[in-house]
Amino acid sequence: MKQFIRRLRYLLHRRRFDRELANDLEFHREMAERAGKPLAHTLLLREEARDAWGWTWIDRIAQDVRYAARMLRRSPGFTAAAVLMLALGIGVNVAAFGFFDLMFLRPLPVRDPGSLLRFDRSAPQGYADNFMYPEVAFYREHSRTLSAVLASGDAKVTIEGDDRQLAARFATANFFSELGARARLGRLLDPGRDEASDAGPVVVLGEGLWQRHFGADPLIVGKTILLNGNPATVIGVVSSEFSGLGLGTPDLWAPINQQPYFVKGSRLTDFSDSGIGVFMWGRLQAGLTPKVSEEELMSLAAELHRQHPKDVWEKEGLPSKPGGYANSIRHEMVPVLALVGALGLLILGAVCGNLGSLLLARGVAREREIAIRVAVGAGRGRLIRQLFTESLVLALLGSAAGLALGYVVQRFLLAWAEVPVWLDATPDRRVMLFAIGMGFAAAIMFGLTPAWQAARQRHRATITRQFLVGTQVAASCVLLIVAGLLVRALNRAMFENRGFEYQHVISIDPHFHGNSSAEARAYLDTLENRLRGLPGVDAVSMVSNPPLGNRWTVFKSEVAGHAVSIHYNHVDPPFFQTMQIPLLRGRNLIRGDLRAIVVGESLARLQWPADDPVGKLFRNGADTYTVVGVVGSARLVSPEDSDAVEIYQLASGDILPSMMVLVKTSGPPEGLVQVVASVAKAIAPKLFPEVQLLKGAFRDKLQTAEYSALAVSLLGAVALLLAGAGIVGLVAYGVTQRTKEIGIRMALGARPAHVLAVVLRQFAIPVAAGLLAGVGGAAALSQILRQLLYGVSNLDPMAYVGAVGVFAVAVVVAALLPARRALRVDPIRALRYE
Amino acid sequence: MPKTDMPSGALVLLILRVLRSGALHGYAIAQRIHALSSEVLRVEEGSLYPALQKILLKGWVTAEWGISETNRKVRFYRLTPAGRKQLEAELSEYGRVNEAIQAVLRTA
Repeated sequence: MKQFIRRLRYLLHRRRFDRELANDLEFHREMAERAGKPLAHTLLLREEARDAWGWTWIDRIAQDVRYAARMLRRSPGFTAAAVLMLALGIGVNVAAFGFFDLMFLRPLPVRDPGSLLRFDRSAPQGYADNFMYPEVAFYREHSRTLSAVLASGDAKVTIEGDDRQLAARFATANFFSELGARARLGRLLDPGRDEASDAGPVVVLGEGLWQRHFGADPLIVGKTILLNGNPATVIGVVSSEFSGLGLGTPDLWAPINQQPYFVKGSRLTDFSDSGIGVFMWGRLQAGLTPKVSEEELMSLAAELHRQHPKDVWEKEGLPSKPGGYANSIRHEMVPVLALVGALGLLILGAVCGNLGSLLLARGVAREREIAIRVAVGAGRGRLIRQLFTESLVLALLGSAAGLALGYVVQRFLLAWAEVPVWLDATPDRRVMLFAIGMGFAAAIMFGLTPAWQAARQRHRATITRQFLVGTQVAASCVLLIVAGLLVRALNRAMFENRGFEYQHVISIDPHFHGNSSAEARAYLDTLENRLRGLPGVDAVSMVSNPPLGNRWTVFKSEVAGHAVSIHYNHVDPPFFQTMQIPLLRGRNLIRGDLRAIVVGESLARLQWPADDPVGKLFRNGADTYTVVGVVGSARLVSPEDSDAVEIYQLASGDILPSMMVLVKTSGPPEGLVQVVASVAKAIAPKLFPEVQLLKGAFRDKLQTAEYSALAVSLLGAVALLLAGAGIVGLVAYGVTQRTKEIGIRMALGARPAHVLAVVLRQFAIPVAAGLLAGVGGAAALSQILRQLLYGVSNLDPMAYVGAVGVFAVAVVVAALLPARRALRVDPIRALRYE
Repeated sequence: MPKTDMPSGALVLLILRVLRSGALHGYAIAQRIHALSSEVLRVEEGSLYPALQKILLKGWVTAEWGISETNRKVRFYRLTPAGRKQLEAELSEYGRVNEAIQAVLRTA
C-alpha cells in the first residue's frame, strides 16, 4: 500500500523525478568521461530506469493516442465515413438501451426510490398484482418493517362541463409526502388532515387537467368542483414533473378513503375478493432487507386469513420487487427484449465487418510505413497496440456520435409517443457507459484482426477479408429476413381473412363504475334490445374482452407440445352471429349454460387431434367445463399472436360490470355511430359509454405493425448497403491484386466468363457461408417473433426466399461492378507492369 | 565485450550493503562495488539506475541532495531503517543459501 502511494507520487511529480534522474545520469556521464570510459546514451538509460516506476504505459498510451489522432486527421474522408457508420451501429443500440434504461433501470424521480418495494399477492391458489383495500389498510396499520405503506387505485370520474371520462387516482394520503412531490399550487394530500374520518372531500388536480379544463386558473385552490356530481374542494395542483409510481398520469388525485364518496356503489372498503383492487407499495425501514419485510407481511397475512378465511388466501405471501422504477421486467418481455438487442447487435456487427474490411485495405496502403517501423525496431506487440489504438480512438468517436444519435432518436420517439414530461431521454451514466462499452466492443470486432494482420505484414492473406464479408452477409441476411417476415405479417394482417367480421362492427364500452351485476345486466339487456330494434342493425351481442381491444384474459400454456396463449372470453349467445364466426361442430351456448364452453378450431385440433371435441371435458383450475361446440379460429383479441387460441363461455355474475356491447350493421357502420351513442347514453345518464368503430381499433393495431416493419426494413436496408459496399471492396481488391494473373490467362486465350469465374470464386464461399449462417440465425431468432406475426409462420418461405433473393441481386451487382474491370485488363500492359 | 551480468537480486543486495556505511551517489555505488569485488564485478549503468529506482520505490533508500567530490549538486542515496532491515534479511538468507550450496558442492 505504502509502495503504491509512493508510486503514485512518482506519477504526480513525474517531471521533478525525471529531472532528478536526468541529473544523476548526467553526473554519472561526467564521472565516466573523467575515468576515460564515456557513456553513450543517457536518454535510453533514463527511459530504462524510469520503467521501474511502472508508469511507462501511460506515456505510451498518450503517445499512441496522439499519433492515432494525427493519422485520423490526415485522412478526414476515411475518418468521417468510419465515424458515421459507427454512429449508426452504436446509435441504434444506444437508443434501444436508452429505452430499456428509462423503463427498467432508472429509478423514478421520487424521494429515495431505492427503499421502495412493490408488493403482489401470491398463494398456492392464486396470484394477483393488486390487493383488497382493507387488506392494505391492515398492513399499513400493523407493519413494523415498513416505515410507510402506500396504495393507489384508479377509477374513471367526470367533472361538470366535460363529457370525457377523467382518470382519477385514489391514493393513500401519504402518497405525495412520502414520494417528495411538489405542489404547483396550493397543497397536496396530507395524512394528518385528509385521512381523518370527518375530513371534508378534497381533490388535487393534475397540472394537465388544471391547464386544460380550468385555464390554469391561479385562484383554483379553495374552489368547489363536482366530481361525479359530488362536491369536493380543490386543495392544490400537483406538478406534472411528479412521476408517481408508474407510467400513467392521472388527471386528478383524491384520498383513497374518500373513494366511496365519489364512486357510487364502490366496494373499495368491502373485504371481498371481488372488490376493486389497489396497488400496494411500502418503504422499507432503514437497514432492513426486503426478505425481513416479506416474512413479517406473510405472518400478518396469516393473521388476516384467520379473520377472513374466504377472502384472504391460505398461505398468502407478499412477494416484493423494487418499487422505484417505471416498470419491472416481466417474464414474457424477455424474448422481445432479447430480439431487439439481437437486431441492434446485428447492425453493429455489419458495421464492424465493413469497417474491418476498410481497415485492412488501409493496412495495405500503409505497408511502407509499417515496414519502416519494423525496420527501426518496433516489436509486433507494440505495432498491434498502436494500430489498435487508432481503432479505439475511432470507436470512441463513434460512441460519442452514437450517443448523440441515440439521444435524438429517443427524444423524437418519446415526443411522438406523448409520454409524461418527467421521462427524460438525456443519457445517464449507465447509457454513457453502455455507449463507451459498445465502442470498445466494436473496436475489438473491427480493429483487432486488421491490426494483427498489418503488424505481421501478412495482409496478403484474404482469409480475414473473406471472414469479415461473411459476417456482414450473415448479419444483413438476418435483418432482411426478419424485415421480410414483418412485412409479410403486415400484408397478411391487412388483406387476409381474419376469421371474424370487423368492417361493419361498432363497439360500445359502457364504462360501468361501481355498478352491481344486476344493474349491469339490466343496462346491457335494455341496450341490446333497443339496439336490435334499430334499422340497419343485423345483430347485437356482448363480450368481456372486445375484439382488437386492449383488454384480455390470457393464459400461456402448452397443449400437446405446442406453446399456446389461451384467450378466455365471456360472451352471450348471439356473439358468433355478430362477429360472423362460423359454428363448425356442436351447438352454440344457450342462456343458463354456465358449465359449457365453445372452443376455437385451432385449440380443438391441438387438444383432441383424433376425437370429436364436442362433449369433452376441459379443466381450468378448480372448474371443469364441457365443450359443447367448435367455432372457426378467430384471434379476436391479439390477431398478431400466432399461438392464440380461444375459449368462449357465457357471461354472468361478477363479469357483467366489465362487459362491452358489439353491434353488427348491415351497411357501412359510420352512419349508425351517432344513433348508437345516443341510445347508449339515454338509458343511464350517469354512464359515459365510449362508442367506436372496430375498423378504427384495427387500424391502430396495424400502425404498430407498420412501424416495426418499417424500422426493421430500414435497418435491413442499411445492413444490405454495408454488405454491398464490403463486397465491392473485396472484389475490387481481388482484381487489383491479380491483374498480372488475369493478364496471363487472357493472353493464353481465357474467355471472359472464365476470367470472371476466377475473380469471383474467392468470395463465393464467404457469401454462401454467410447466407447459410444468416438463414439459420433468422430461423432461430424469429422464433421469438411468432406472437407478433399475425399467423405468418416464422419460417415463412416467401419471406426467406424474398430476402435471400433481394440479397442475391444486391450481391451480384456489388460483385460485377468491380469485376468488370478484370475483363478490361490489357494483357500486354498487365505483363509489362512491374 | 562480454558482460558478466549480475542477477538483479544480487545487485540489490550489493547496493544495500555498500550503502550501509554511509550515503553515496550513483557513480560511487558502482565504483565501490567494482573496487570491493577486486574489479571482478562491473555494475552496468543500464541495471544500476533501474535497480536504484526500484529500491527507492520500495522505500529501502531515500535520495537527498549533496555535493560531489567534483563540486557538483547530485543525489546521494541513504539507507532507511526499512532498508537496513531488508539488508539484514537478505544477508542471512544469502548466507543460508550459500552454505547450502557449499554443502552440496563439498559432498556431492
